[in-house]
Amino acid sequence: MKDYTERNRALLHFIVTPTILLTVALLGGLRVDAQTRQFIFIAPPLVTLVLAILLGSLFVRAGAIDLRQWFALEQPMLTNLAHLLTLLALFFASAQAFNSVLPENGLLHWMFSFFFLWTLWTNQFSAFDARRLLRSLIVMFSTAFVLKHLLVSGLYAPAGGWFSKLAAVLLQGVAIDVPAFAPVTGYVSFFALVLYVAGLLLIAPVPARPASSDNKLAVREDALSESGDLAE
Amino acid sequence: MQRKVIQIAGIVWTLVYASIIVWIYATEPRSFKEVATNSQVAAGIYEINQEKFNNGLALFHRDQFRAARDEWAGADPAQKDPRTQFYIAYACYREGWGRVYYDNALFKQGLEAVNRAINLAPNGILIVDDPNLQMHTAAELKAELEQGTETSWKDLNPLKLFRQRK
Repeated sequence: MKDYTERNRALLHFIVTPTILLTVALLGGLRVDAQTRQFIFIAPPLVTLVLAILLGSLFVRAGAIDLRQWFALEQPMLTNLAHLLTLLALFFASAQAFNSVLPENGLLHWMFSFFFLWTLWTNQFSAFDARRLLRSLIVMFSTAFVLKHLLVSGLYAPAGGWFSKLAAVLLQGVAIDVPAFAPVTGYVSFFALVLYVAGLLLIAPVPARPASSDNKLAVREDALSESGDLAE
Repeated sequence: MQRKVIQIAGIVWTLVYASIIVWIYATEPRSFKEVATNSQVAAGIYEINQEKFNNGLALFHRDQFRAARDEWAGADPAQKDPRTQFYIAYACYREGWGRVYYDNALFKQGLEAVNRAINLAPNGILIVDDPNLQMHTAAELKAELEQGTETSWKDLNPLKLFRQRK
């Protein structure tokens, strides 16, 4: 029974989590052209890399990732390497999750980028724990998703409704350049964001160690406490 | 031991998957079909559709250049076959050639295709032995297309009207 638990935990940690994060990195930049139905792959813009770094810093500050536990001299090199790859996958998944909900160009791109930067920057100085950070991220990404894929794309849809007409009147003379994508782009983005949140849920602040190393650690701690007692 | 195997598998899989993603973003396929074609090119097993190529050649010989180009585009979707690219360029040349003036857009399109052909050919030298053509090397065709896109005083020469299409 224990054997299965350990094996499944290792599979989840070393294979499933990086796969989920890399899938987000793949889908985050995927758009489908409204007219030709062709794929358009948009590489992460520079601003999304900056946002991903800020988000990574937030993960560390909030304790969602304990870097000293993820990388340690006592751990085998393979484990450290696997952890490095997982964190790199997390970085690119974060960049692509932002890419997925950022308008591609124009005024809205910079407005969204500014709001993301502002939110992440102010959060750096707030008291956060891992759970609250995750909730906050879910709210942030879902708001951006609704704004981009429901409101903005609806606003500039070829067969727009009353909302589109109202916006056209209100924003008369304001040039907001929004490329037209097929509705399936929204579904792809939604799927990518769901996967991203799932990936975040799977990442433990302290990676699980094999039972044998736990025992060794316990023995070592006992030995240390015993030597401390003797010294006293 | 089992954990170590999973770790190694995880590392290898992560690296492979990441490389695939980088490759996809670098090649920017526009459809699943193009993904498959690009994979064939990457694996070195890419081949043109010979039937479509022959159809294109038949159309080319009947002076139906646009239709021929469409067939060749279908025969070589990845634009990786130098011979097909040469023929596409030749079709652009023949369609764009005029006694009084050349079609600049078609000549530019032809120039792009012949450049692709030269880049794909081993050592950049491509010779096509087709008796129906008057230019047999990609270099000749390129020079002809380049001359067509340049404007000079020679364009005003009335003797130009008597030249022949190659």
